[in-house]
Amino acid sequence: MLYSEIVIAGCGNPLFADDGFGPAVIEEMQNLQLPDNVTIIDAGLGGPHFIFTLLDPEVTKKLIIVDIADYGAEPGSITKLRVEDLPPGAYRDAHSWDLAEPLQRIKDQIEITIIGVQPARVTAPEFELGLSEELQTAIPKAIRVILEIIGVDYGTIIERLQEDRQRGTAESSGSVKTS
Amino acid sequence: MSKVVEISPTTRHEGHSKLVLKINDAGIIETGNWCSITPVRGVEKLAVGKTPEQVPKIASRVCGICPIAHTLAATEAMEASIKCEIPKDALMLRHILQMANRLHSIALHDILILPDLYLPGTETKINPFTAEEPVRTVAKRIQRIREIGQTIGQIAGGDCIHPRNTKVGGMYRNVSEQAKTKMHDLAKEGLTLAKPQMDLMIAILRNYQGRESVDVGGMKVNMPKTLGYHNQGYMATHPFYGSSSLEEHPTWDMDRFKEVRPWDWYMGECTVDFEEPKYPIGGTTKVGTVCNPQMEACTGIPLYDGQPVEVGPRARLVKFKHYDEKGTVGQNIAREMEYMDSLYEMLDKIDALNTNGKVLADHIPDGDGSLGWASNEAPRGTDVHIARVKDWKVQYFSMLVPTTWNFATCSAALTGAPWQLAEVIMRGYDPCVSCATHMIVVDEDNKIVAQKLIQ
Repeated sequence: MLYSEIVIAGCGNPLFADDGFGPAVIEEMQNLQLPDNVTIIDAGLGGPHFIFTLLDPEVTKKLIIVDIADYGAEPGSITKLRVEDLPPGAYRDAHSWDLAEPLQRIKDQIEITIIGVQPARVTAPEFELGLSEELQTAIPKAIRVILEIIGVDYGTIIERLQEDRQRGTAESSGSVKTS
Repeated sequence: MSKVVEISPTTRHEGHSKLVLKINDAGIIETGNWCSITPVRGVEKLAVGKTPEQVPKIASRVCGICPIAHTLAATEAMEASIKCEIPKDALMLRHILQMANRLHSIALHDILILPDLYLPGTETKINPFTAEEPVRTVAKRIQRIREIGQTIGQIAGGDCIHPRNTKVGGMYRNVSEQAKTKMHDLAKEGLTLAKPQMDLMIAILRNYQGRESVDVGGMKVNMPKTLGYHNQGYMATHPFYGSSSLEEHPTWDMDRFKEVRPWDWYMGECTVDFEEPKYPIGGTTKVGTVCNPQMEACTGIPLYDGQPVEVGPRARLVKFKHYDEKGTVGQNIAREMEYMDSLYEMLDKIDALNTNGKVLADHIPDGDGSLGWASNEAPRGTDVHIARVKDWKVQYFSMLVPTTWNFATCSAALTGAPWQLAEVIMRGYDPCVSCATHMIVVDEDNKIVAQKLIQ
């Protein structure tokens, strides 16, 4: 099976500044040792047609989506959302066959949590690379929330990631740097 | 007297596009304009000054459905510019990734077109999501084929959506012998599923083609024998993979390519004076709406030998396999025929792969500023990337993506069809619109004229 019991998908486009948060979280998580029943995937813009329409509810029980969400909070704040909380069209399949949304189709069979972070700057349709400082800082916070949901105790490692970032020694993750 | 009808947005494809159709009293299209309405962006501008490693990653993000084609084309455009030949086994892995991507894409396209088609011998249109047989079994088979394509892509490319294993100069790592065996087994399983899937789809398409009339939103529409015909010619650079300026005999010629302004090609301002509320989904655009395809179209019109051309599965089959069936049904059948091609080619490349071979070139030059290009035969057609790299910095980068080539060709193919079937013709191209949006447009004298649109 392509996808395991728990699937964590980072959604968004790193070409639109903070919209690259989801892929950036996944890139950071690739450095972690995770249980075999967890698949992490940089979904980019391909979530609806590559992942959400291809999950088998008999195998996948939990789907965690990491993305930006504008809910009027301070940039970098993290919230947990349910499918019902999403505005219509948030994950409409770009290949919208009947304008139904793939998450609506699977939400009764697969437990779906959306980790939404408040963006500071989304530049669409103009391209811009790199996350804002607030969202860089939110990466380890989001990872901690995810690990809590999937029941992985990662002790101090995540704290360290955050400290490294604050000291400015860690490589910035996620989207390609501009210089 | 001609009337104008607009279908916006078009559905069951990637991105935002619309159809503006000038129709006669019988509802037959006299002039059809299919245009992208995704805003103009600036990937080419963003790439300048970046390293050749960064640009393929940027290119892969312009679209949600063709990241693999863009990653491969951009990487190879960099290699063409710096004149770096990659080891054979790296090329094998890229071929496998390419075929896996195509396999997934054909299966996905089956889901997208099935709702237009009928179960043979019935008046029932196919809903791929129904729990009823026989459709349920077919849907499961399609899902398994998609899964096989993505899994093989993940093994060869490191990730099934945005491949991480590709690198300028080759690949980061080879695969293990076990992984090679797994890819082989999956491809063999794919063969047993793809053959009946191809046969079924061709039967369903032939049944559709032979119908006297079809139903669209409760309207009975006569089926023309020439649905989707055009005389624009075809362009393809390889039956499976692509070409590049590094090759001894490249199959694409930059001097034969030119891109012109959309306003030379599309209709000017017009007002919608015909609407049909029954048209799925939600009816056509309201009467009185002003539209202006010339100014709203977000793409340039690429020409090859002075004409728009068709790219995609049929173009590949015409150029390399003497296929000659025209029209929308012929185009969809060509795509189905690529099921077996992609699996056999994939198996050949898996067999040829030496898992102990090196996959990264010994020397990766920094680039001397030469212009290089690479084409990738993406599922929906020829994707050409052009690059100039000097001292490991990208000085110039441009993407000519498949659907941009197809916009004007498909627009020509709309003429003569009932307007209700315009979307059926468009879907035959398996369009992916969001990355088709382009930024630099040149006029006939090769002068850049459309930069004002960007600022």
